[in-house]
Amino acid sequence: MSYVLTTCGFCSCGCAMYVQQENGKVTGLFPSENHPVSNGRLCIKGWNATPAILGADRLRKPLVRRGEHLEATSWDDAINYAASALKKIIFESGPKSIGIIGSAKTTNEECYSLVKFARSVIGTPNIDGACRFYDASLIPALLETTGTPGSQVELSAIPKAGSILIVGSNVMEQLAHVGSRIEDAADNGCKVVAIDPRETRLAPHTSLWLHPKPGSDLAWIRAFLKIIIAERLYTKNAPEMPGFEELRASLEGIEISQLKYSCWLEPAEVHKAVELIASNPPTIVMFGLGALQQPHSTEIVKGLANIAILLGGSVMTLRGQNNAQGACDVGLTNDLLPGYLKLADPVARKVWELVWNCQLPAEPGMTAVEMLKACESGTLKALLIFGENVALSAPNTQATLSALDKVGFLAVSDLYLTETAKIADVVFPACSFLEKDGTFTNIERRLQRVRKVLEPIGESKSDLEIIAMLGAAFGAKMSADPEKVMTEISSSAPIYKGQSFRQLDEEWGQPWVPVGSEAKLAPIEAVTKDSEGEYPFYLIASRINFHQQTGTMTAKSSVLAREYPETFAEMNEADAERLGIRPGSSIRIISETNSLTRVLSVSESVPKGCVHVPHFFGGNSPNALASYETDPVSGVPIYKAYAVKIEAVR
Amino acid sequence: MVLTPARPRRMWGVTDQPSANLYVPMIAIVQEIIDETPDTKTFRLAFEDKEYAKSFEWEPGQFVEVTVFGAGEAPIGFASDPNERSFFEITVVERGKVTRAMHALKKGDKVGIRGPFGNCWPLEDMKGKNVLIVSGGCGLAPLRPAILQILANRKEYGNFLLLYGARTPADRNYKYDLDAWAKRDDMQVLETVDVGDESWKGNVGVVTTLFDKVKVDGENTVALTCGPPIMIKFVTLELLKMGFSADRIVTSQERYMKCGVGKCGHCCINHVYLCTEGPVFTYAQMKELFELKL
Amino acid sequence: MKKDYSILKKSDVPAFFASLANEMQLIGPKQLFSGDVTFDVIQSHKDIYWDYGHVVYPPKRFLLPHFEDMFRYTCDQEIKIEPTCNPQPQAIVGIRSCDVAAIRFQENFFSYPIVDPYYKEHLNNTVLFNLVCNTPPKKECFCICCDSGPWLESGFDVQLTDLGDRFLYEVGSDKGEKATEPRAYMLLPATPADIEARRQIELQADSRFQTVSYVAKAINFISADEVPAKIWEDLGSTCFRCGACTNLCPVCTCFTVDDREESDGTFTRCRSWDSCQYAGFTREASGHNPRPTFGSRVARRFYHKTSYQYIIRDGRHGCVGCGRCITACLTKLGLPDVVKRIRREMHEFLPPKEKAAEV
Repeated sequence: MSYVLTTCGFCSCGCAMYVQQENGKVTGLFPSENHPVSNGRLCIKGWNATPAILGADRLRKPLVRRGEHLEATSWDDAINYAASALKKIIFESGPKSIGIIGSAKTTNEECYSLVKFARSVIGTPNIDGACRFYDASLIPALLETTGTPGSQVELSAIPKAGSILIVGSNVMEQLAHVGSRIEDAADNGCKVVAIDPRETRLAPHTSLWLHPKPGSDLAWIRAFLKIIIAERLYTKNAPEMPGFEELRASLEGIEISQLKYSCWLEPAEVHKAVELIASNPPTIVMFGLGALQQPHSTEIVKGLANIAILLGGSVMTLRGQNNAQGACDVGLTNDLLPGYLKLADPVARKVWELVWNCQLPAEPGMTAVEMLKACESGTLKALLIFGENVALSAPNTQATLSALDKVGFLAVSDLYLTETAKIADVVFPACSFLEKDGTFTNIERRLQRVRKVLEPIGESKSDLEIIAMLGAAFGAKMSADPEKVMTEISSSAPIYKGQSFRQLDEEWGQPWVPVGSEAKLAPIEAVTKDSEGEYPFYLIASRINFHQQTGTMTAKSSVLAREYPETFAEMNEADAERLGIRPGSSIRIISETNSLTRVLSVSESVPKGCVHVPHFFGGNSPNALASYETDPVSGVPIYKAYAVKIEAVR
Repeated sequence: MVLTPARPRRMWGVTDQPSANLYVPMIAIVQEIIDETPDTKTFRLAFEDKEYAKSFEWEPGQFVEVTVFGAGEAPIGFASDPNERSFFEITVVERGKVTRAMHALKKGDKVGIRGPFGNCWPLEDMKGKNVLIVSGGCGLAPLRPAILQILANRKEYGNFLLLYGARTPADRNYKYDLDAWAKRDDMQVLETVDVGDESWKGNVGVVTTLFDKVKVDGENTVALTCGPPIMIKFVTLELLKMGFSADRIVTSQERYMKCGVGKCGHCCINHVYLCTEGPVFTYAQMKELFELKL
Repeated sequence: MKKDYSILKKSDVPAFFASLANEMQLIGPKQLFSGDVTFDVIQSHKDIYWDYGHVVYPPKRFLLPHFEDMFRYTCDQEIKIEPTCNPQPQAIVGIRSCDVAAIRFQENFFSYPIVDPYYKEHLNNTVLFNLVCNTPPKKECFCICCDSGPWLESGFDVQLTDLGDRFLYEVGSDKGEKATEPRAYMLLPATPADIEARRQIELQADSRFQTVSYVAKAINFISADEVPAKIWEDLGSTCFRCGACTNLCPVCTCFTVDDREESDGTFTRCRSWDSCQYAGFTREASGHNPRPTFGSRVARRFYHKTSYQYIIRDGRHGCVGCGRCITACLTKLGLPDVVKRIRREMHEFLPPKEKAAEV
C-alpha cells in the first residue's frame, strides 16, 4: 500500500490526486489538499477516474487485421507489420503521403516524441493534434494579440477579479475548479458577465447574462470593442499600443442598433455589459469551446483578446482535454515547432533541424481535417492516430468513417477498442496516465508530473514506448524514457527552459513564462453569414459533466455511465409547441450533412430558435451533423451554431 | 384492527443465510424460460443444493437478488406459487445490464440467488375481507403469488376482483393465467390496454378507467396494487374516493437497490430501508414518508 | 469499563508503538508531499506525523474501503466462488476523536438490524488510538457542536491527550485493554497535575472553535419536512454533483456493487463508495427517478444527517463535525453553511411568536 501523487487526466484543470494501489488494483484515491488547483477537491470525473480507466475491456495485446478480423498478436509482429506497411507507402508514394494525428490526452513527452517521429523519422509535415478538433484557433489568435498562446493568469487570480467576461463555456460542468472559483469571485463582489445562447448553472453567480444568436459572437465582440473605444473605457495606455488605430479603423461602420437583428441582443444590454466589465478591473476574459468552435473562431478569439488588452485585463482559455495546452506547447500542430516557433521562421527551423538531425520544410503540413479529406481523396495513403477517437471527435461522422475506411493503412493507439480502432489495420494497446510517467500542462500553463501508479494492464505500453519501437523499426534511436525526453524538450524549447522531473519532484510545477512578447491589438473585420429558411434552427452542442473525450474512458465507469443513460435534445417550450411536438417524443435533427434522432425535452434555458443537443457517445453525437467546413485561419471545424431543421419522428 | 404488511417467516441475513457471508449467493439452475411479452421473460429456477432447496421458503411479496454471473446482481420479485417448493419463478423485464444478460440465459444455465428479502402482502390479516387487486404492466409479477395463494384458500376471502392494465395487448403478462382466471366464477377479472389493436375487444384506457365498470365495497375490501409509480398514485386517489381507509390500500414499491440487507443505501425512503422494511407498504405508512411525494 | 488514566512519556512512544507493531499493522498519519497528510501504513514510528492538522481522506476506509473486493468467481460451467476479504489486525494511531465517533456510528449501522460481514471482520481486527485535539486542527472543525470531540467520553479504545512531554493515556474498551496489556509496563500512573492539565484543555475547548453549527435547530425543520422545496432547490442549483461530501464524510456508508472482469477471466464483485448526490443513485431501470432534482438529493443528504428518525435509529445524528464537507465542496454546501441557511430562511416562515422564542 502506498500513495502515488499524480495529475488527473480528464479536464484541463489538472488536479493533483493521490492514488493508492495494492496488488495491481486501485484501492484508494483522494485529492491533494495543498495543490494550487485541486485544493482538497475533485469533480465527479476525478472521483470516478479509476474505474473509467481500468475497464474490463481494456486492450491487452496488439491487434493486426487479418481479413475481416483484428487478431491479437505480439508487439514485434504488430510493429513490423506497421513499419513495413509504412515503408512500402514511403517507397511508393513518398513520406508526405503519411499523416499522423496525436492527442491532447497523452503526456507532453509523448506528444513531442510523436512530432519528432513524424518530422524527422518519417519525414512528413502532416502532423497535427486533436486540438484541431477543439480549440486550436486560439493559438494563431493569441500569438497575434496577447503573445501568450494560453491563459495569462492562474486559477488563483479568478477570486480576486473585479469582473469576468465568460463566453461560450458551460464552465460549471466542464471545468469545475474554474467554476468553483468564479463562484468565489462572485461572492467577493466580482461582476460576472456571461455570454452564451443557453443559460447554464453558472446563472446564479452572474450579474448579467446575454443570450446572443448562436454563431453571432463576432458581431457583438466588434460592438463591445467599438463601445470601449468610442466611450474611452480602455486603460490609459491603450491608444499607444501597437494596432490600436488599425483596430479602430476596422470597427468603423458598426451600427450598435443593428445588434438586435444580427445578434438578438438589446443595445442597452450590450452597453451595460461593457460598462460592467470596464468599470470593474481587473477583468478576466474567459472563453471556451462555444466560442472556439464557431465559424471564424480565430477572429473571435482575437476580438476577445482585444477586449482584455484594451481593458488592461487578462485572457483565460477554457480548454477541453487535459493536456491541450501541453500538446500545443511541444509542437503537436501542423504549422508550429515546439515552443510556438513558426515553421516559416528559418532560425527556428535551424534549431530543431539540429536537435532532430533532419531537414524541415517551411510549409505547414495538413491539418487534421485536411488529412481526413486527403484520406478520402486518396492523397494520403496512411494515417497514424495516437490516442484520439477520431471517428467520433471529428465532424461529419459519416464522411470521417468513410475516409478512415478508405485510407490504405490505418494504425491506432488507444486504451480501448474505440470506434476508430475498430476499423484500423493495426491497433496498439496504449496504457493510461495511471500506468506511465510524464508531464501534463494544465490550463494555467502549469507543468505537472504524471506518475506511474500501476503496472500497465496486459501488454499495453505507453505511447512513448510505442513511438520509440516504431522509430527503432526505421533505424532511429528515440528515447522511451520520459525524463530524458523532457530534458530534450526543455533544453531546446525556451518556454520549458529549466523544467525537469527532478524539480517537479520537489515542488508543484510552475506555469511557464511567455518569452518576450508584447501585447498587440489586432483589427477585427466583419463577416456575414446567415442561414435561415430551410434550416431555421441553430444547433447548440454541449458536453455534459460526466463524460469527456468521446466517452472512451468515462463511459466505462458504472457510476459515470449511469448518470446520463439516455440521449435527449432540448428546445424552448414555445418552439416545441409551434412545431406541435410533445416533450418525450422523438425528433429528428437534420443538418445539411446528416441527421440524428433524439427524445425531446423542453427547457427554458434554451432560447427560441435553438436546439440544444448534449454529446452522447456511442453513435449519437451531434458531431455527425457538422460538415468539413472550418475556420479559414486555424482549420478548426465548425461544431457550433450550424443550421438545422427539426422534424417529429412518428 | 389496523392492517400492516406481514413480517415474513424467513428473511436473508436474519433467519436464512446458508453461507458465512450474506453477500455470497446460492447457485440455482434455470429449468424453464417462458416468453411473456416482447421484453419480458419468466425464469423457473431451482437450487443446485437439494437440501437447501427443501428448506427454502418464501411468501408472496418477497423478492430475491439474482446474480447473472459475469454481469452483476439485480433485485427481482417472486412470481410463482408460494406453495410450490421444488422451484420458484421470477419475471424479468429486459432493461439494464443485468436483465439484458439474464434474457440471454438458456435452460440449464446457472444463476446466483440471495434471498428471500423484504416483507410480504398481509394475506393472513386479509382473511374474511373482499380483495381488490389493481395492477399495471409487469407490476402483476409480485402480485401473482398473492393471487395464487388467495385462490388456493379461496373460501377464506370474500369477493375477489382483479383489474389489470397493459400498454398493448402484446404486453399482457401471464396471458395464460389471465385467460384462465377470467373463466373462473369465484373471481372477476377486468382488463384494459393503453393502446389496442384489431384483435383487442376489451377496454382501452388507463387502469383507473376500469373503476367505473365495477362496484367495490370500499369499507370491507383490501386493495393490493403494484405498477408504475404514476399508476399507483392515481389508483390510490381513486380508492380513497371509494371509501378505502389508508391502511387497506397496500402497495409494493420499487426502488433501485444493490445489497438487499439495508446497507448500500440506494433504496432508502426517508429513514425506511425498502429492502428490509418494505417493499410492501400500506398507504397509511407511505403517507408518513414524505419523500414518496404522494 | 473502569476508566484509568495513565501516562505514556513521549520518550517511550517509539518503543511502545514498535512493540505494538509486532502484533498488528500500524496505521497512522503520514506526510506525503508539500504538506499533504493521509493515514497510511506506518513502517517506522518516525513516520507517524503527530502534528498533522486534519486529513482530507477519512480513515473510515480502513474499515469500509473506498474500493473493496467482496468475492471472486469463475464463470465457466462450474461456478466457483472464492472469498477475498482477509483483514489483518491493525491499529489506527493518531486518529481524531471525530473520526472515531464516526466509526462508532458506522459500527452501529453495519451491525443492526443485519450484520455486514465485511465491516464486522475489519472492525474486529481494528483497535483505535485516538488523539484528543488540544486546539481545533482546522477552522472548519465543529465537532464541539456534534458531541464528537475534541475528546471522547466513551466509545474509544485508547485515547491519547498531548500534555507536552507526555500523553495522557486512557483505555476505553476491552479491545483497548488487550492492546495495552503487553505494554502496560511502559505506562506510568497519572498524577493529579496531569488530570488537571487535561481538565484545562477541556475547559478551554469551547472558545477555540471558529465554525459553529446549530444542527439541533435545523433538526426540527428537516425532520418534519418543513423546509420548503424552494430552499432545497436553491441549494441544489449550486451543487457540482461531485459526490465529495459523501465520499469524504466519515459517517456516510452508501456503496455500489459492480462485477468486474479480471485479466485472468475471473470476475470480482467489488463494492465502492457511492453517493446519494448522484442522479444515478436512485434512477430505476425504467428511467423513473424518485429523486429527480438536485434539490431533492441535497434534501436527502441533510435528512439523513439530521432527522429524528435517524437519530432514534442510530443513536446520534449523522454528523461528527469534521468539516470535510466544507473543505471538499466545490460550492458552499457544507453542513454548517446549509444549516445556517435553513435557519435563516426558515426564520422568515415562522410566525412571530416562535420567532421570539428562537432568539
